[in-house]
Amino acid sequence: MSARRTSDFVLSVENLSVSFGRGASRNRAVQNLSYELEAGETLAIVGESGSGKSMSSLALLGLLPPGVATVETGQARFDGRDLLAMPEAEITALRGDRITMIFQEPMTSLNPVLTIGRQLTEGLIVHKGMSMREAEARSIEMIDRVRIPNPASRLRQYPHELSGGMRQRIMIAMAMASDPAVLIADEPTTALDVTVQAQILDLMRDLKREFGTSIILITHDMGVVAEMADRVVVMHRGRKVEEGTVGAVFETPRENYTKALLAAVPKLGSFATTAEPPVVVNQPKTPARETTLVSARNLTKRFKSGGWLSRDEGVLAMDDVGFDLAPGETLAIVGESGSGKSTTGRAVLRLIEVDKGEIQVDGQDMRALGQTSLRGARRTMQMIFQDPFASLNPRMSAGRLVMEPMAIHGVASGSELSDRCAELFRRVGLEANHMRRYPHEFSGGQRQRICIARALGPGPKLIVADEPTSALDVSVQAQVLDLMLELQQSLGLAYLFISHDMAVVEQMSHRVAVMHKGRIVEMGPRQTVLNDPRHAYTKTLLAAVPVPDPTRKRGILPTLDVDAMPTGPLTEVAADHWVAA
Amino acid sequence: MATTVEAIASPRSTGFLRSLLKSPTGVIGLIIVLILILAAALAPWIAPYDPLRMGAGPRFQPPSLAHWFGTDDFGRDVFSRIVYGARLTLQIGVIAVGISLTSGLLLGLVAGYAGAWAERILMRLVDVLFSFTEIVIALACLAILGIGLTNAMIAIGIASIPFYARVTHSIVLVEKGKPYFEAGIAAGAGHIRMIFLHLLPNVIPTLIVVGTLGISTAVLAAAGLSFLGLGAQPPQPEWGFMLSSSRDLISRAPWMMIFPGMAIAITVLGFNLLGDGIREILDPRQVTR
Amino acid sequence: MVRYVIERVFAALVTIWITTIAVTLLIHAVPGDPVRIMYAKFQSTPEQIEAVRTALGLDQPIWIQYGLYMGRLFEGDLGRSIVGNQPVLDILLTRFPPTLLLATTSLAIAVVIGLSLGFLAAYKRGTIIDVGAMIIAILGVSMPHFWLGLLLLFFFALQLGWLPVAGSDWKSLILPALTLGLANAAVLARLTRSAMIDIFDQDFVRTARAKGLPKTIVLYRHALRAGLVPIVSMMGLQFAYMMGGAIVVENVFAWNGVGRLAIEAVFARDYPLIQGFILFFATVVVLVSLIIDLLYAALDPRIRYS
Repeated sequence: MSARRTSDFVLSVENLSVSFGRGASRNRAVQNLSYELEAGETLAIVGESGSGKSMSSLALLGLLPPGVATVETGQARFDGRDLLAMPEAEITALRGDRITMIFQEPMTSLNPVLTIGRQLTEGLIVHKGMSMREAEARSIEMIDRVRIPNPASRLRQYPHELSGGMRQRIMIAMAMASDPAVLIADEPTTALDVTVQAQILDLMRDLKREFGTSIILITHDMGVVAEMADRVVVMHRGRKVEEGTVGAVFETPRENYTKALLAAVPKLGSFATTAEPPVVVNQPKTPARETTLVSARNLTKRFKSGGWLSRDEGVLAMDDVGFDLAPGETLAIVGESGSGKSTTGRAVLRLIEVDKGEIQVDGQDMRALGQTSLRGARRTMQMIFQDPFASLNPRMSAGRLVMEPMAIHGVASGSELSDRCAELFRRVGLEANHMRRYPHEFSGGQRQRICIARALGPGPKLIVADEPTSALDVSVQAQVLDLMLELQQSLGLAYLFISHDMAVVEQMSHRVAVMHKGRIVEMGPRQTVLNDPRHAYTKTLLAAVPVPDPTRKRGILPTLDVDAMPTGPLTEVAADHWVAA
Repeated sequence: MATTVEAIASPRSTGFLRSLLKSPTGVIGLIIVLILILAAALAPWIAPYDPLRMGAGPRFQPPSLAHWFGTDDFGRDVFSRIVYGARLTLQIGVIAVGISLTSGLLLGLVAGYAGAWAERILMRLVDVLFSFTEIVIALACLAILGIGLTNAMIAIGIASIPFYARVTHSIVLVEKGKPYFEAGIAAGAGHIRMIFLHLLPNVIPTLIVVGTLGISTAVLAAAGLSFLGLGAQPPQPEWGFMLSSSRDLISRAPWMMIFPGMAIAITVLGFNLLGDGIREILDPRQVTR
Repeated sequence: MVRYVIERVFAALVTIWITTIAVTLLIHAVPGDPVRIMYAKFQSTPEQIEAVRTALGLDQPIWIQYGLYMGRLFEGDLGRSIVGNQPVLDILLTRFPPTLLLATTSLAIAVVIGLSLGFLAAYKRGTIIDVGAMIIAILGVSMPHFWLGLLLLFFFALQLGWLPVAGSDWKSLILPALTLGLANAAVLARLTRSAMIDIFDQDFVRTARAKGLPKTIVLYRHALRAGLVPIVSMMGLQFAYMMGGAIVVENVFAWNGVGRLAIEAVFARDYPLIQGFILFFATVVVLVSLIIDLLYAALDPRIRYS
């Protein structure tokens, strides 16, 4: 590490402590955090949920939720002054001018009742004393620089008329318009799809170079860190556990926490040389793959919105979707938000009724089943959801939740039922005495284990897993994925694994189907599809994934012309490798 | 009644009373409601006079040691009448809310759970009734049934059904949209199990809050109808009716107006505070996740 | 936007239409013979009763009655009152304006006081001002209108003699309007407070603060403008409450509006008058709600530009 000179520091934070709540229930969110930010550098503050990474930055600008969190101690020197000791008027003058901020939720971070123009110009008028005309000219220039077409006409639009990615661009335009010294970006791409994320990250990097801004990037995503950061501060439970250049932290992490965190991050390409997911049990039970467990053909579903007066065509959530799934196999359905991947999972379980198509599960024609026989058929197919907390009835104990499907399907009753439940708890890595607790008393990972135990109860052959780990921290995600692999291999389960995360998909699946706007555009063995993608969309999707390795920079994102993309019926380009023509 | 009602999702029935006792709002509300219940239960022992006995003292006596709240135009003891009035007030609250809560719950639950055309028709109808306003529905009911305190209770109960149906419906919609509901269906649960094991336990807590607040609305409404002469009839010791008979005697015997009014206000306040207190406990934002 | 307007207007029309059915059915829901009940107070022979029955069309099948009723309705004929034998529409038209005046004046009072109190409480959340404002509000919510009315009457009219006990001039309007306005200001203050607290917790308010905008701009341009959307949406209901409350308050102050009329009609079991009153009342409430819904749409760009 080269010598760092104090005079180069734009911002230096010393001994910052932030606490939550008051009195006896007070909690330290940030403890004695110190770091320096050099001119023109990107400093990533990385940590899992509850690490205090966001709180520490909100505290700098006096933006902590009033009455909820307070700064206890610390200094933050900026321009020779202490941000934390400044009177309100002075910090207000700095905020949004010299130090600006962008947030995680582009959908809710803009005021819905004010025009984009109003929201872009008001800061310039207040801080730079510009006239309305000057401010509008600058705003149009900024909208252009964040690469939104027709910048002038955007001024009169309202936020709801723009997509999430566009709104985040507007937020960036707003934050950069005053040519700030420091930009604090709080999880700026977490709510965005991976292809949009790649564009936003590229944009931030370019703007940083042009404007010479220093960036504090708060994120949980090691891929984003590797791609963006010059230096890294790793936080855990309110404390800084490690600090260093991005190369040093990734190559030679000193602290155990950092090592574990890095080890838990799935890296796309780690399994490029194997065709199957890693074997994690001694004697895997591999059912005959020649048979079919799930067979879906021509599934079509249109969601209509609006009332009877509506001329709205609705959204085509599934358009001619078809695939097969063998027993003991994992088929991953990957795609971005709105691709129809969740709809497909639900359609297989008949949680939604499709408009057209055939679904066979375990030899049964799902669409022909009556209500009663459908309920019976659900014994062989269970589901795991994205948000484990919300998918557990808050008024039932964990034990009752796990017992419920077994009771419904008459798997067991009485003391046998509770014995089996206890066994399931142990099976998924929980303790039997956890049965009496309620969902809110568990951690996120434990809740997902409860969900898995619940799904296992009736002895299913198929589990539809809808983004089962995307609400979890990365270290917890690794454990849950391991558990799922272990269960599959010892019980011979088939997974329909719905995910947006390419690296997770690579680790978990035998075969992959890529969905885009309701259609499968590419499908085949995982190794073939990920190593040799043929469809333009698959290529873009793979190229957009940030690589958690600072030595391997992501390539230039190919420009994707969505309208010119082939979306016709699937044709076989190689053995079992299907691509939309 | 015009309180914003949010769906409340929360666990822990254990320690409920303990948490209630920690909220100042809840404690005051609970005390007031308990006093009301005690007054109603022990009226014959608390009240110094027969509430209906005329000439228990001289007419128009101002408050004194013998007659704490004074006497009315017939020489009846106002304090005794107010104590006995607690019985009528409780009865009104329980009967009116009982009618509206059960019918509203049923309507809202059926509409929300069934969805499709049943929901559209039922909720459209509820919306229409809702726009009549409760007082007009109550007046219509009284026009049909005839005046009297029992009919007034029924009328108020009927008049509030649209409100409870709407509240239940909106909670059901919120709960139905949560993944645990889908998880129940995916597990293979039938309608009975979905409604009684999954939906109802998550709907009822909010309805307890709404019902508690609703008692105060019902008490107010019944007192209002009695004040107008459409509810309680002489010589019932009903607070609203006592107020209406005080109207023309305000300058002569202001205590006839002040004490019954205070009794109504404190009772209503009690149920409002209790409802707010319960809501505070059940508020999802206070649940540690 | 056009679709939204059409849907709203249609919904309002459906409501009014269902009301006409409801009032027709009303008279049939009466246990016993409605005509006998109506004329119980008068000395009338069976022949007279039958004549009335024929005049009201009550001897016809119900759908024909409804058809006749609707036919007359379109000609502006709401029937004649039993007491006084006057056209119902004429009675309503003379008695409605005072009620409307009372309700709108009260609404203005309630909006001014309730909104400022609620806004202040939300802005000063957790402080003594908030607690104080909310204590006042919950006391206001708990106080019966008519008792508040009687108290005001007692102090300002009888003790101090500043204002008249009853009458129909502007001075007599003050006490009833204040009674109804104050009582509903408390309700509005509570609603406004919770709506504004929701807004203050929104991400876009944090964005506005992060932009370093002066407090007043964050407050008025960002928070209040966005907060007005849910608050305005509550106004239709508030107006309905105000009209309902007027029925009681009019009786305290002998304000000669439609509320007193309604009570007299229920006492006298004057069914044609009751029917007319319900139809008229519901129509006014529905129309005002419609106007407020459209206003609300104009405030919210998400609806305005759809």
